Amino acid sequence: MLEVKDLHASVAGKDILKGLSLHIKPGEVHAIMGPNGSGKSTLSNVLAGRDGYEITSGEALFNGVSVADMLPEERARAGIFLAFQYPVEIPGVSNMEFLKSSMEAIYTARGQEPLDAVTLLRKAREVCKLVDLDQQFLKRGVNEGFSGGEKKRNEIMQMLLLEPRLALLDETDSGLDIDALQVVAKGVNSLRSPERSIVLVTHYQRLLDYIVPDFVHVLAGGRIIKSGGKELAHELEDKGYSWLEGHDA
Amino acid sequence: MMLPDTLKEQALAGAALLDKELQEQAKQQSPHASNGLSAVRDAGRVALAEQVFPDKKVEQWKYTSLLALQNGHLKALADKTSSTVSAPDFGGVTLTIINGRLPALLPEIDGVTFSQEAVDQSAQAESVFSHYNAATLRAALTIKVAKGTHVAEPLHLIIISESDSPASAAVRLHIEAADNSTFTVIEHYVGSGPTLCSSTTSLYAGANSNVQHYRLQSETPESLHIGELSIHQQRDSRVASYQLMQANTLRRNNVRVWMNESGADLVMRGVFIARNKTHVDNQICIEHAAPHCTSDQIFKGIAGESGKAVFNGRIHIHPGAKGSDAKLSNKNLLLSNGAEIDSKPELEIYNDDVKCAHGTTVGQMDSQQQFYLQSRGISAEAAKRMLGVGFINELLMALPNERVAEWARDWLSASL
Repeated sequence: MLEVKDLHASVAGKDILKGLSLHIKPGEVHAIMGPNGSGKSTLSNVLAGRDGYEITSGEALFNGVSVADMLPEERARAGIFLAFQYPVEIPGVSNMEFLKSSMEAIYTARGQEPLDAVTLLRKAREVCKLVDLDQQFLKRGVNEGFSGGEKKRNEIMQMLLLEPRLALLDETDSGLDIDALQVVAKGVNSLRSPERSIVLVTHYQRLLDYIVPDFVHVLAGGRIIKSGGKELAHELEDKGYSWLEGHDA
Repeated sequence: MMLPDTLKEQALAGAALLDKELQEQAKQQSPHASNGLSAVRDAGRVALAEQVFPDKKVEQWKYTSLLALQNGHLKALADKTSSTVSAPDFGGVTLTIINGRLPALLPEIDGVTFSQEAVDQSAQAESVFSHYNAATLRAALTIKVAKGTHVAEPLHLIIISESDSPASAAVRLHIEAADNSTFTVIEHYVGSGPTLCSSTTSLYAGANSNVQHYRLQSETPESLHIGELSIHQQRDSRVASYQLMQANTLRRNNVRVWMNESGADLVMRGVFIARNKTHVDNQICIEHAAPHCTSDQIFKGIAGESGKAVFNGRIHIHPGAKGSDAKLSNKNLLLSNGAEIDSKPELEIYNDDVKCAHGTTVGQMDSQQQFYLQSRGISAEAAKRMLGVGFINELLMALPNERVAEWARDWLSASL
């Protein structure tokens, strides 16, 4: 699904990722943990194709194709979904209108017949219910005036509707209270399937109590310095990131 | 010859041409066939002869050149008497004006009178173009809404300017909504070809009246339009004026609102879009001439490619106009580096007891918003269009007439 090989990337001329390698197979859930500034968000943004995040060497292959050669929208149509750490507000563009354009682009690229307006609305209402988001939010501007938790749930709502092959969750758990966290986890878990991969980028172990990963990686200084099973997250929680300082995988 | 002199010569030639045509018509028909406008035209010609056409040295014309008029629009008259140009149906009663000609039959609405009376507007002439308008009038339309009349359906004026070669058409509207009346009027300017529409509209809102006014300008890009709009508000009148426009070869609107008596309330909303090589210039002035009046203006502009938009919003609080509350916002979006938007608020306040808020911004498309949309599979181009529509959507959604709102949304998104 995703093969990242010795990836070096810079943001505004500053090297952030310094030789990151990662192999994710279909059906797997990977957690990437690390202290602030370790490069976690950079990885998500590089994979999604944000402007200014430049791959300087190495490569990231999605189903065998280098993502560096794809526009952000092409990556999305190929099945990559980024749940943003800070979803942006877009006043004047309604959530529903946005979902419709997005769904049409992605379904068409997948060779699927786009949903008609009625089916889309029904499906959107269903997923809203699943993430405990009031249907009224569908009519509002994209993320406009949403609370932090509502924005995160809106991301998960979109993810459930678009059914990506690779979901990158960039600190979706940050700033969520325990109820919202459970709602988000329920949404993500409902998406788990043998054909789909999920990458949880997180600062806190707490999320992993609700979404149990197959693998946990510790990112520090732009590289993965330790990988393990779900128990690694607990170890980190007990000992703190300082435990791994100076440690090399 | 310098451009101002050339334009004046052409304008006088255009006025003389119309005069000759109408005199010949009068000879063929009975001498009483004159529609009473000859005195207006004569006065217009006299005033025109004394005027100087502005160039860029004149402050109000600093950003707008009249060079596009040198192709002879002023000296020829758009002569088509029928048109294939269509306009959307917004419901209500429709009246179509083609190249300055009124239909043979004027509509009938209870409590509303239509006439060809020409109301003298020379006192409020904003520029030399007011006089040109007077000098080249084929007809004038006066609409009077009687006291206390509540007209539920909108009056839809479709004003068509159309010619195959550079020429002009003048139109003059005078609308009076008497005390306690409720009235909605839609001025919709459409047309095709390199036609200059010279428009003058005056709107009087009587005491405690409630007037909704739409000024839609959707002529084709090769057209030109120089328009003047004056609004006069009496005590406790409420006027909402919605001005939506696409730029063209030369679009200039001089708008002045007189808040003459206390308690008058004005809401003004505007959208202007200038793509490719088009130009649009709005000069708005709100005269707070009486105490306790409120004005609230929001204009949004978008310019792309080598499009150019100018916005000048002046708020003038007169001495004695205590308790005035005036708001002005003009936000603009530049779609490309070659586009230009010049926005300037001007406040002139002769009073301490006022609330005045103004803000103008010119910004570019938000790259984070764009990335967000693209990251959901939406192409860069479609994302830009969505954001452009989103930028003006706040104003479109607030249009009280849903049919106008729906049409305007399609019309304006097509140019984004």
